Amino acid sequence: MKARSRKDVRRDQIVGVMVFLIIWEVSARLLDNSLILPPISAILAALWELIITGQLIVALSQSILLLIAGLIVATTIGFVLGALIARSRTAYWMLNPYLSALFVTPTIALVPLVLVWFGFGFPGRVTVVVLAAVVPILFSVASGLRDSPGDLIDVARSFGVKGEIALLFKVRIRAALPVLLAGLRLAAGRGVVGMAVAETYLRLGGIGGLIKSYGAMFQTDYVFASILPLSLLGIGIVSLIGRAERRLHWT
Amino acid sequence: MIDKLIRPSVFLPLVSLVVVFGGWEIVGRSINPLLFAPPSEVLRQFGELLQTGELQDAAMVTVRALFLGYFLAVVVGIPFGILMGAWTRFGDILQPYLYAIFATPRVVLVPLIVVWFGIGFEARLFLVFFWSMIAISVNTAQGVRHARPDLVEVARSFQATRLQMARHVLIPGAIPFVVSGLRIGAERAIVGVIIGEMFLQIVGLGGVITKGSQELLPAKMLCAVAVIAVLGTIIVTALDTVEKRFQDWKGAP
Repeated sequence: MKARSRKDVRRDQIVGVMVFLIIWEVSARLLDNSLILPPISAILAALWELIITGQLIVALSQSILLLIAGLIVATTIGFVLGALIARSRTAYWMLNPYLSALFVTPTIALVPLVLVWFGFGFPGRVTVVVLAAVVPILFSVASGLRDSPGDLIDVARSFGVKGEIALLFKVRIRAALPVLLAGLRLAAGRGVVGMAVAETYLRLGGIGGLIKSYGAMFQTDYVFASILPLSLLGIGIVSLIGRAERRLHWT
Repeated sequence: MIDKLIRPSVFLPLVSLVVVFGGWEIVGRSINPLLFAPPSEVLRQFGELLQTGELQDAAMVTVRALFLGYFLAVVVGIPFGILMGAWTRFGDILQPYLYAIFATPRVVLVPLIVVWFGIGFEARLFLVFFWSMIAISVNTAQGVRHARPDLVEVARSFQATRLQMARHVLIPGAIPFVVSGLRIGAERAIVGVIIGEMFLQIVGLGGVITKGSQELLPAKMLCAVAVIAVLGTIIVTALDTVEKRFQDWKGAP
């Protein structure tokens, strides 16, 4: 099990992807059934058309807006509840049953209920994203704030920081930042899934709606072309947060 | 008995449950029944679904697809993971695809699955099998790759044969990873079966949810959600227990 250099791995991966794409293109042309397997060239052409007609930009901006709104709400809720259950036993025991229930229930099973209760518009969709994303934030906040940085607290006290709230903002949150970012990274990944679920279930708006409507028309090349930006969006957001995380760890 | 009830770990959750369910009941009665159902209504609906056998039948359909798909995922996933871990180059080449598959939400692939597998049992089975299999094999591969170098060195210096190395160092070291792969795989399998039942073929517990939303019966949807949550809890808790046991066994890293 000898370690391979990064360069070797990178080269293998690039060659591998190129071979894969060529095999795909050739076999798709031989199969000649664009319903089942459209060739790469057709998918790229479809993607180009989605970009030119502006459909992709509109759908993507709707999706990103939904995602960001959901993540902001989820962070706020996760923060308040997480801080509560970390710092108060009473709150922990009171809230624990619901949080465990939310944790084990697949978000997708809750989507129809949420949309009935909160409406099919923007609030309902944001709620789906929040439900998907809130759990990892909540748990990371709770565990980050529970392991109290004792020496830091003592130092802050001796410099005159008084009161639990002031300590929370001045010391605890900063000490827990790496854990919080890790939670946010997990939450962003799950938020993308929640966003896709909400949009697909409703069949309108955003990238999910775009995919669903092309799927209903059996235009597989357009389906592939609209899935691609969604995957890239997910990878982009998660790696952005990952980068911030690494930066914090090293300084 | 009383002592036990007064402990905060029992007493506080009970109080909170009573308050929330009581409030839910009171609020639920005054809201349009097409939108909201109080707990009493959910219980009544639960009894009705049990009596007609609808819930049991649905659960059977779900469990069958879930177990068959998960079984296949384990059978294929572990050997595949060993291959990926032992043959490093193969694992490296596959990595971008696995990353891409993980980064893509499953619901948006539903149109492709319809085109490839139809909307029947095979399609649902694929939704359970594929993602669960990938989770299992990625973890297995990690376990095989991350054999403790100190132990490998010791075994080498005692001139252990390949078989001895596998038997005493590699396999025991990989098992904790495999077991956590099995748990993650099970979680993915449960979500997969529900996606299949809600978006492909309206059957099983996921189908009960979709039907409940079409018939505007929130109580029915809540019943199915509760059964899914209980099913998921049982499976994941069981695997969690196994995982904890193997983590202790692994000892210090």
